[in-house]
Formats: sequence, C-alpha cells, structure tokens
Amino acid sequence: MKHFKMGFRSVLPIISGIIPFGAVMGSAFSEAKLSFWQAMLMNTSVYAGAAQLATVDLMKMNAAYFVVVATGLIINLRFLLYSAAMSPYLKDSTPLIKFFTAFTLTDQSYAAMSANHDKFNTNTEAVNFYLGTSLCMILTWDASVVAGYIFGNFAPASLALDYAIPLSFVALLIPTLKTKNHGAVALFSSIISLLFFALPLKTGLMVTALLSIALAWVIIQKKSKV
Amino acid sequence: MIEPNYFLINVALLTVGTILIRGFFIALSGKMNISPKVKELFTFIPAAILPALVVPATFFYQGQVAWIGGKERFLILLASSIACYFVRNTLFVISFGLIMLYLVTKF
Repeated sequence: MKHFKMGFRSVLPIISGIIPFGAVMGSAFSEAKLSFWQAMLMNTSVYAGAAQLATVDLMKMNAAYFVVVATGLIINLRFLLYSAAMSPYLKDSTPLIKFFTAFTLTDQSYAAMSANHDKFNTNTEAVNFYLGTSLCMILTWDASVVAGYIFGNFAPASLALDYAIPLSFVALLIPTLKTKNHGAVALFSSIISLLFFALPLKTGLMVTALLSIALAWVIIQKKSKV
Repeated sequence: MIEPNYFLINVALLTVGTILIRGFFIALSGKMNISPKVKELFTFIPAAILPALVVPATFFYQGQVAWIGGKERFLILLASSIACYFVRNTLFVISFGLIMLYLVTKF
C-alpha cells in the first residue's frame, strides 16, 4: 500500500498538465457533436489523448477507416517501447494486473515509474507504485474530459495551462538522465525530432524514438567492448 | 456529425489495436529472458521519446514557418530543464515554467 500511495502522489504534481489537455479533449468531443456516452466510450476504451484528438478530427472529416485507425495506432506505437520496459516488473504478476497495466499505460505513468525506479526493491513494489500512478491518471483524465465536454475548454487562455504538459514531461525526464550517455540520447532525440517533425501521420515521433533507441544500443555495445 | 456506426467501428479498431500495442511485451513478460543489455536499453526509453514529444511541440508552437519568432516556449523549456536539473521537484518546474511564460508573454 505504501508504494501504491507513493505512485498516486508522484502524479499529483503533474495533474496541472493533464487537466487542460483533458479539457481540450472533452471540448473536442463536444464540438464533434458526439453524445456524452460516445465520448466516454472512446475516452475509456482507447485512453490515449493524442491519438483520440487526431482521430476525432479525422472522423469529423469522414476519413477512411484505414486512415483513422492507422493514424491513431501510429501515434500510439510508442507504447510498444513502454510495454517492453514495463515487462520485467510484471513477470510474476497475475493476468488481470498485466491487463490493467497494459490498458493504462500512458506517457505520464510510465515516465513517473521510470523517474522513481531506483526506489523499488521488488517487482511487487514497482507494480504497486505503477497502479497508484495509473489510478491518479485515470481519475484526473476522466474528470477533466467530462468537465471539458460539459463546460468547454474552461482553462483561461492567458494562463497558457496547456504549457504545463511539456513542462511536466521535462520534470519527469530530467531525473531519468542518470549518465552522460542518457543525456546524449536525449539531446540527439531533441535535435532529430525537429528534423523529422514534418513527416506525415506524425510518424516523426516514432522515427525519432527508434533512431534514438538505435543510438542508445550502439552506446551500450561500445561500452561493453571497453 | 459523425455517423454512429462509423464512429463505433473506428473506436473498436482503435481500442483493439492500442491494447495489442500496449500489451504486446507485457503479455510476454515472464515467458522470455531479457538480457542485461536490453534491460539497460530500457533505461534509455524516456530519453528517446520524451524529448521528441516536447521539443517539436514547443519549438514549432507557432508553426514551422517562423524560425525565430514565437520561440519563447522553447527557450523557457530549456530554462526549466536547467532549473529541474538543480531542483528535482515537479511542481516547482511546472510553476517556474508557467510563471516565466506568463511574464514573458504579458510584458
């Protein structure tokens, strides 16, 4: 329970970034004239903000099934890497816990987990921590989407609360840069993400991630030969 | 107006596809041996992905045409990264960045 609470608390500081994003998502559902239950169905079953925003926009334009689904899944491909990174912690977990973990995998919950990984002595502690982050994420995300659906994008534009999202990722990223090599990969990812930004269907994100992982692999291989 | 069946089919396909992506390696956990090198590789995942999420979103906040104008979000992100290096507190970093942005855009 201690690690569950730690996980829950670890996400509290970044909810200032999740609420405006959820409000934008809720108002996008409302503007697309989806019913409340349609919005909630998509929000709880897909549970991936960036992919939802992109695909609701495409569905408004009546895009082909392939275009809608491919766009959403390409944006979500990064979860494959998170899934790989989470798998060692879950080797002794029940199928239900594995399913719940997979279902609730988000950038924020994974990043919170990664930033705190040195605080776990066992896999159970890690999984409990993760479940705490997930519960906090789900409650915050769903509440802010509902509020956005009912009240529109309520965050005052002058406060630029949407900017809390990148700031929260920075706050989660920096503690994970434990060596110069991690810093080098982050720098490499930053630079090439700008170069590949214009790639279609937001594939730049995945291309950047894969090239950065390739660089990390080269670094690890070189280190092991020294 | 999005046609209900069209919406439902898209959401169903997205749901199944996303859970397969999210669950692929998790479902295999315990059934495969992960070498120490691959485990080390996992520690690089935040460094590989998170900058790719935030850097273009702030650098190209006002589109790709203006290369110099409207870069305050990117510059404040850099300042916030430096602040985060010294003060490892999420709430501090978010507050610092939001206050800086408010001040820069207001004055």
